[in-house]
Amino acid sequence: MLEIRNVTVRFGGVIALNDVSADFGCAVSGIIGPNGAGKTTLMNVLSGFVGTVSGSATRDGQDLLRLAPHRRAHWGLRRSFQKEEIADDLTVHENVLVQIDHSRTPAGHKRAEVESMLALVGMAERADKLGADLSGFERRLTDVAKCLVGQPRVVMFDEPAGGMSVDETRQLGVLIRRIHGATGAQVLVIDHDVDLIREVCEETLVLDFGRRIAFGPTDAVLNDPRVKAAYLGTEEV
Amino acid sequence: MKRLFHVTPSGWAGFALAAFAIVVLPGLSSSYWLSVFTSAGCFLLAISGVAFLYARLGMVSLTQVGLMGVGGWVALRLNHAFDFPFEVNLALAALSTMVFGWVLALPALRMRGLYLALVTLMAAGGLEILFATFQFPNGGEGFWGVKTGSSDPFRRPFLAQSAEDYLRYVLICAVLGFLFIELHRRLQPGRAWALIRRSEAAAMAAGVNVTLYKTWAFGITGLLGGAAGALLAGSLGLLDDGTFRASESVMIFALAVVGGARSWQGALIAAILYKVLPALLNIWGVYADLSFVIFGAGLLHAVITAPDGLAGQALGGLKALLRGKDRRDA
Amino acid sequence: MALARYKNWLLWAVLMAVVIGWFGWGGRPQMVGLFVASGLAVGSLYALGGIGIVVLYRATGVLNFAGGAAGAAGAMTAWQLSEWGLWDPIGWLACLAVALAITLVYGRLIAPRLAWRETVVKAVATLGFALIVLGLVSFLWIDDPRAITLPTDGIGVRILGMRITATRLIVFAASILIVFGIWLFLARTRVGLQMRALANDRDLAALMGIPILRVETIAWGISGVLAGFTGLMFADLIRLEPTVITFMVIPSIAAAICGRLENLTVVLLGGLSMGVIENMLTLSPVLRGVRPIAPFVIAALVLLYYQRGQRLTFGGRD
Repeated sequence: MLEIRNVTVRFGGVIALNDVSADFGCAVSGIIGPNGAGKTTLMNVLSGFVGTVSGSATRDGQDLLRLAPHRRAHWGLRRSFQKEEIADDLTVHENVLVQIDHSRTPAGHKRAEVESMLALVGMAERADKLGADLSGFERRLTDVAKCLVGQPRVVMFDEPAGGMSVDETRQLGVLIRRIHGATGAQVLVIDHDVDLIREVCEETLVLDFGRRIAFGPTDAVLNDPRVKAAYLGTEEV
Repeated sequence: MKRLFHVTPSGWAGFALAAFAIVVLPGLSSSYWLSVFTSAGCFLLAISGVAFLYARLGMVSLTQVGLMGVGGWVALRLNHAFDFPFEVNLALAALSTMVFGWVLALPALRMRGLYLALVTLMAAGGLEILFATFQFPNGGEGFWGVKTGSSDPFRRPFLAQSAEDYLRYVLICAVLGFLFIELHRRLQPGRAWALIRRSEAAAMAAGVNVTLYKTWAFGITGLLGGAAGALLAGSLGLLDDGTFRASESVMIFALAVVGGARSWQGALIAAILYKVLPALLNIWGVYADLSFVIFGAGLLHAVITAPDGLAGQALGGLKALLRGKDRRDA
Repeated sequence: MALARYKNWLLWAVLMAVVIGWFGWGGRPQMVGLFVASGLAVGSLYALGGIGIVVLYRATGVLNFAGGAAGAAGAMTAWQLSEWGLWDPIGWLACLAVALAITLVYGRLIAPRLAWRETVVKAVATLGFALIVLGLVSFLWIDDPRAITLPTDGIGVRILGMRITATRLIVFAASILIVFGIWLFLARTRVGLQMRALANDRDLAALMGIPILRVETIAWGISGVLAGFTGLMFADLIRLEPTVITFMVIPSIAAAICGRLENLTVVLLGGLSMGVIENMLTLSPVLRGVRPIAPFVIAALVLLYYQRGQRLTFGGRD
């Protein structure tokens, strides 16, 4: 269970996140909200790119916010960005290998782990292709594989389905649901595609103007009149 | 393992060229050209250090010739103060320049890339002043080791006393420098650098200690620069502060980009443009003063239209030619 | 909270007092004062160079390494015109015009081609341009010792018992007035507001209908005129030599760094302080030889100070 407590973030005079708390306990949890609500900011806080005025994010007894950004990855945090960050000069295999380069397991084990995760996402045949030669969907799959190696504990996806076709989005949804079973990690997903969220996330947090306006089982949250008002800007449904 | 020692076609071409240069070139050259080629070899080593830093990590170092000066200074001082063999002086010079480079770059390594360019440019200016003020050791007493009158001799490597042999020695060092960089690129550091180049945030999220790897890369640049300076000291026996002005550091960076920062061919082109071309123009009596203009224009052109430099354009043309040939043959 | 902001200023004030006190110890107050005064003059030049860099950088995202070269070209033009017997003020105007023209050539013809590249690449390109301009200037005027004198060099003003050259006073006053003027311009005029919007978020500014080209041209123009003025003053106070003036961009960068490439007041104070400290080092027999590297060391230390206890963070675009 990832316990987020009282996270507040200020950029100068703007309060980007206002005392946000949520206990993420399900295998896959969603974070939604209108543009500018603070979803990516929350992920940036968890990643360590943005400082907080106050707050904590604890799991397994470790407050993530006390660790340096690259050490959170060693602990088991994984992050996929809105734009897939795959190095053009490296092969698919090497791109995934970077994630576990720091660990002390022997090279053979690392290679095997990379290959098994590539097989899970369906990129095993293309392991030797250079990043520059991949399609957008292939890059995203490589990104996902990168998030799965090295005993992840929390995997965060920031708009993973951005720019994908309906089929690709569906495939991605299936893959996301398999993550907990394959690795034991819990998943956080930010996306605007409500169908994907409904399909994949058991519980969802809704942010608006930096505040939490709803949190709970996805269906209940999506039917909440306050959530609908936040998206549509009206009181009525 | 097999990927580690795999040699690409470009690699074979490089080895072939190096073999030719090492075996044949010294015999063919007059003493004027021996000195020019040896100089070019030293700068080739230094340029490879600057080029890889820019091409693989997007980091700009505008003080490489200054760092060569540091390496040369250390080599000279050690040579005149102690009786170590040349290789020891070379190693100590390279290592101390690496550390010195770290000290210089420290303020900038955790900040945006632009700051490294700024800080190294300031360092280049500072080093120029220091060299002009304190001069290079020539056998005198005291920390600075400078005396008036003629300078004491500089001991060359045991295996490379003559000018021909020293040229071979320098060329071998240059090849080793390239291999050193390539080794890093094929292992963990290379993967980390590639991801850092793509996005420092993504690298951090992937568990890469960005500051460590940037520092490591800059350390290599300093190491190679220091070694190049020591080799230059060995070639000339005595160094002059005019060789290590800030404008020279800016120039070799410009040329590294013009030649093509991504490949050894580019570094070679840069070294030739920097040392061999002016020597040629000198012989032909052609006005070489416009080099600044030409190289500056080349840098602008490379930055705007040809990011992989002349080497990139040449290699691209070669590939297109070969592809066209394949299609015709098929 | 308020105390933290004033802490830096306090630290700076104490540091300056310590430096002046340490190196000036035992000297006549008037003599120390003269060193401080001429340090302020040189420091003003560093500050002016830094201000030109920062204003342009904030408005266009280009860190212009070629400002010094443009100034050098202008200064040489002024010298040449006076050699040909023209009335001095024409030479000064020509200096400003040449520097302005060179800077605009880059800003309007070359910079747009690089508009969407990263900051480092844009800066590297200006390096190329600086080499071109320096090369041409060195080619047109062969290496010979030259000097520029301004009529104010001969005039002395008595302040607090010290005789200070009018030129130095002008430069110092100019730096303060220019910073104030630019501050007024940015804060009070429409174009200034547009420039601040551009500096804040270029894409958003474009979407809002701000005439980017016009605002940027004005920024390049300001930078060019400043470069010309600074080049001329540098030629008068230090030396008329193209390479030297071109590379005065280095201490200007040091001043710009003090202001973190954004705060003009800190750039001004940073530049002035550097000039004073550098000059005060003349009074130390040990450090006298290396005093020209003072601006660089100061900038490096300031940069380290800014970073203390800080982690790399990503707040927005670079």
